[in-house]
Amino acid sequence: MMEPRIPGMSIASQSAQVHAESTPVTVEMDPVEYTLRKRLPRKLPKRRNDVYVNMKTDFRAQLARCQKLLEGGGHREICIHGLGLAINRAINIALQLQASSQGVLQLAANTSTVELVDDLEPDDPDEAREPMTRTRNNSAIHIKVFYPDPQ
Amino acid sequence: MYQLYCNAGQPTGTNNISSPLKLFPVPPHALKLGQDGFKKVCRTEEGSPCPFPGLESGVLEMRVKEGSKIRNLMGFAMARIQGEKDTSGGGLRQVVFTGSGRAVTKTITCAEIMKRKVGSLHQLTKLQYKVVKEVWESTEGAVTQMTVHRTVPSISILLSKDPLDPQEPGYQPPESLGALWEEKERADPSSQATGKRPLEPLLYSGLHHCKRTCLGEGVSVTPSPLTG
Repeated sequence: MMEPRIPGMSIASQSAQVHAESTPVTVEMDPVEYTLRKRLPRKLPKRRNDVYVNMKTDFRAQLARCQKLLEGGGHREICIHGLGLAINRAINIALQLQASSQGVLQLAANTSTVELVDDLEPDDPDEAREPMTRTRNNSAIHIKVFYPDPQ
Repeated sequence: MYQLYCNAGQPTGTNNISSPLKLFPVPPHALKLGQDGFKKVCRTEEGSPCPFPGLESGVLEMRVKEGSKIRNLMGFAMARIQGEKDTSGGGLRQVVFTGSGRAVTKTITCAEIMKRKVGSLHQLTKLQYKVVKEVWESTEGAVTQMTVHRTVPSISILLSKDPLDPQEPGYQPPESLGALWEEKERADPSSQATGKRPLEPLLYSGLHHCKRTCLGEGVSVTPSPLTG
């Protein structure tokens, strides 16, 4: 999270979002004739100390996993990511970790926007309708949970 | 009338009535109060220390609630930070968005929209638990009140036109939209080798990357705030 930024890279993601927002809503969708299928978010980095929080796994299991990484796994820092509804859970896990460390652990939260793609698939194969895609944005949080370096 | 304090003044746990680790989201029915003929009559957030020490007192604080409309929040906040059209001032220098519980996602969304629209904003994000006091009243039989203290996660996001301390945990420099991901992908080359997902979204952003760089680097792409 603290590496120097590469301007070209950040511009790439920025333009993608601008694109999503500036696209005029020309998609006239009839809800009866299309099925909306949400694609998974795009592939994101996965290091050993990255934890992606979801709403399907049991909360306790996800908390325990983070605790294990910090205590048994020997990591000085972990990164907890949450998208959309899972933001709350990510924050809760981070605050729980901090509380159970008696305040030794520190949190550094960053927010971002993630572009998501939905597929619109025509239900009626006889009609000559093209499958479409639609992009939308969702908010995400990235919390670095770390032991501060001894001063 | 009696009062029940669950978990008062203890920030480490939430909602001791059910299992201690059943934490969040903690909808009212987790307490089973709603089903037992209780109705929530009031909800107040208890005062907590400001997460941004040293902030001027006059700073605009947008308190995002579960039912707040993003349109309304942003209409107000954007007008204040861009400055009204008829006044000469350039608008406020700083805005804080705060929200707790189920309003957290909406709070982040507001900050993200403002960052995109205004551009060149420094950001500081802080997380903390907030104590919420709820008063529940019995809907059947004798008038019975219960006070429940509940800890919920809350977020505070400071957006500033002026530079902030980059050493402060939770600081984000301007125009770091999505850059987090890119950095990490570079930092860990193995993540690309193990990638199993289709490449289409990558291709997609790559195309726009070409397009955008022609238009100039680091330029805020938002339209000028004062038009007309």
